[in-house]
Amino acid sequence: MPAHESQTEYPIDDTVDITDVVCPTTFVKAKVALEELDDGQVLSIRMNDGEPVQNVPRSIKEEGHKILKLLDNHDGTYNLIVQKIGE
Amino acid sequence: MFLTVAGNQKEYENGITVAKLVELENVETPQYVTVSVNDDFVENGTLETTVLHDGDTVEFLYFMGGGNARSILY
Amino acid sequence: MAFSNEQLERYSRHIILKEIGAKGQKKLLNGKVLIIGAGGLGAPAAMYLAAAGVGTIGIADADNVDLSNLQRQVIHTTSDVGKPKVESACETMQAINPDIEVKTYQTFVTSENILDLIDGYDFVLDGTDNFPAKFLINDACVIAKKSFSHAGIIRFQGQLMTYVPDSGACYRCVFKQPPPPDAVPTCRQAGVVGAMAGVIGCLQAMEAVKFFINAGNLLTGSLLTYNALTMDFRKIKLPKPDGKCPVCGEHPTILQPFDYEQAVCDLKEK
Repeated sequence: MPAHESQTEYPIDDTVDITDVVCPTTFVKAKVALEELDDGQVLSIRMNDGEPVQNVPRSIKEEGHKILKLLDNHDGTYNLIVQKIGE
Repeated sequence: MFLTVAGNQKEYENGITVAKLVELENVETPQYVTVSVNDDFVENGTLETTVLHDGDTVEFLYFMGGGNARSILY
Repeated sequence: MAFSNEQLERYSRHIILKEIGAKGQKKLLNGKVLIIGAGGLGAPAAMYLAAAGVGTIGIADADNVDLSNLQRQVIHTTSDVGKPKVESACETMQAINPDIEVKTYQTFVTSENILDLIDGYDFVLDGTDNFPAKFLINDACVIAKKSFSHAGIIRFQGQLMTYVPDSGACYRCVFKQPPPPDAVPTCRQAGVVGAMAGVIGCLQAMEAVKFFINAGNLLTGSLLTYNALTMDFRKIKLPKPDGKCPVCGEHPTILQPFDYEQAVCDLKEK
């Protein structure tokens, strides 16, 4: 199990890495991963520090999903734990 | 009486027919225009006998070709 | 089907939209549109649908690119003059988006081949310039239960409507039968502003996109007219389908597509 998943008390249903893309594809990639989940399932999104960590959580919140936690991986990346709300 | 013709409300002489309205409105190629009154088609050949009433809504539906691709020919 | 990073980037502006999202983009990628006529209307429609990632686009046209086409048929360029229109259109569409499949049909669309042509497509876009073709497309689509977008343009005016089986009047309900040849002006005789083809062709593309993503209201049971001089857009409510319509009515008499005579001058015209 990757280290970041052990850091959270939430069961993670799926993970997506958006460190390989830039804005606005960061949000798009996260959004697509969320669309694949069922209502209530939890997604862990690995993202870079800086612009992604400033913008992606806000955009996801605007879509109506629930931000559960933002974990600092101390390697310049964060894991955003999101619960999917609604279809 | 007042009619709404192609979206514009205007006053017309009482009891005019659709044919008269087509003439008054200077409809282009009047013999090939489809007319609807209150969202019903006016049947071909009944333009002269269809009398309009106060408050009626009239639309003229025109043939329009265009696109300029001859995709049919024989 | 998972999106590649390249697809995510290419279609990001679609996927971000609540009404499209990943699901809608997949529907577009699985969508099949046949465009009849690679002319003024078909050109912008084909380009936008290719760019949108409509996965399979068929394009039918028998003609070659002519210099007089270039004023409005923006899918073709000066160096394409003399080339088959479908070939020129295909090159532009694949250059815009190599992610899609373009099928070309360099043929006149007639009662003989139209049912085979539209078979397998989800949506048909009428980009033809003459009334016999417009009635043929209508009849074939009604008979084959296909949705299609009709449009026409002339001078500074344009109009379009959408037919979806069992929802709203068909083109024949409204216009009955083609006018005699040369009875109403066509754009060849009357002229048309190039951008009008862009406006109306793009609206047809918009109807196709909405058809696939199932968002909003299509122009079924309505005719949208546009007058560029007054800048009036009017959405005219059409009467309900004509029960006596010979093709979509209760007792249809047109059970197979058929061809109307073409104007003699059309036959001779280059």
